[in-house]
Amino acid sequence: MTNDPNFHELVGDEGPPEELDRLRQVHELLVAAGPPPELSPAHEHAPKVEESKVLRFKRRRTTFVFAFAAAIAAVAFAVGYTVGGRNSSFEAAGVVPMHGIGSQAAATADIRIGKHDSGGNYPLEMSVKGLSRLPKGGWYELLLSKNGHPTLACGSFGIDGKETTFRLSVPYDLSELRKADTFDGWVVVRHTPGQHPAPIVMTT
Amino acid sequence: MATDFALDLPFRLPTAAKAATIPKVSTLSPTDEELLERVGRRDGDAFETLYRRYSRSVLGLALRRLGDRGRAEDALQETFTAIWRAAKTYRPERGPAAPWLFAVARNSISDRGRARREPPAEAPDEPSTEAGPDEQAEQSWVSWRVHSAIETLPDHERRLIELAYWSGLSQSEIAELEGIPLGTVKTRTRSALARLADALEEELR
Repeated sequence: MTNDPNFHELVGDEGPPEELDRLRQVHELLVAAGPPPELSPAHEHAPKVEESKVLRFKRRRTTFVFAFAAAIAAVAFAVGYTVGGRNSSFEAAGVVPMHGIGSQAAATADIRIGKHDSGGNYPLEMSVKGLSRLPKGGWYELLLSKNGHPTLACGSFGIDGKETTFRLSVPYDLSELRKADTFDGWVVVRHTPGQHPAPIVMTT
Repeated sequence: MATDFALDLPFRLPTAAKAATIPKVSTLSPTDEELLERVGRRDGDAFETLYRRYSRSVLGLALRRLGDRGRAEDALQETFTAIWRAAKTYRPERGPAAPWLFAVARNSISDRGRARREPPAEAPDEPSTEAGPDEQAEQSWVSWRVHSAIETLPDHERRLIELAYWSGLSQSEIAELEGIPLGTVKTRTRSALARLADALEEELR
């Protein structure tokens, strides 16, 4: 354990009071922040990100199924923007339906996409029905997807009953991502302790 | 004490130093905003620069949230993967890059944090002394800003700041360790604090 450094020893008392006050504030911020962690040698450089490679999730269905889902997602997204939302308490600019796959085939969901705020954050409201409850320590995660592969995380949620509605906020510009063909759908993956990769349980 | 000399010299003596006031440093170049825009155009060098500038901030945030080095390093990787993918959507006219980067990091980290949120076996008898969510968020943001600002310092100043604040060494001991005069240690430390004050202007009262 180390003692906090002494501001007077570091800086002295020479200088205009306003400058000393400014430096003292920085000193206090440094003390409060504590030391930044050291990177391990394996993390000294930025990760290599390939355009076609996505996070470490296993592809679950055939290319055809994902291509079909992607097409549905694209249509749903476009239609949603023109039709608008259906929940009066959340001003939705679009609605994207989702459905379960595999053991969660009975599950359904709607993602209502709000208008972005001045900071570029997109509010989302999601209603999920029929997903199975999670084991202790588990959670579901909503992600954007490209060709069925999860790409960008949008937030996490849990299930405490047959149906749940919750709100998320994502900092990505969804319209721009869509125009840039960075995503063409959405998926939900199920995280449970000890299970890697996390399986996709819902898709668009 | 300032003294006027009535010397007949062919040049002007330098004016008395204004108590060693350090001028504001120029804006960091390239800026975070410029780097993000270049990353959006798939510039690998800009991505590496952005990583060097923010990786320790992201890792620090992840460690505070997750408390586990392995998961924090996974979150670090995921954060920068997300930044690479989403950078093309960043619009500088909507705001500075640092909050955007912070939001992407927070999203990636909070996903990994879900697994740890298990209820305690028994409700505590006494109120927690830990900071509330708002306060924690504020602390996280300030630490993020401080750590990323440190990464913008010249190497020789960054090292002195880290030694001065987190090694427990005195200024004299730092001078001996670095093999430089004590006065140089003090000058560089003060210069580094002034740079940090400029970088952290919005965090100062």
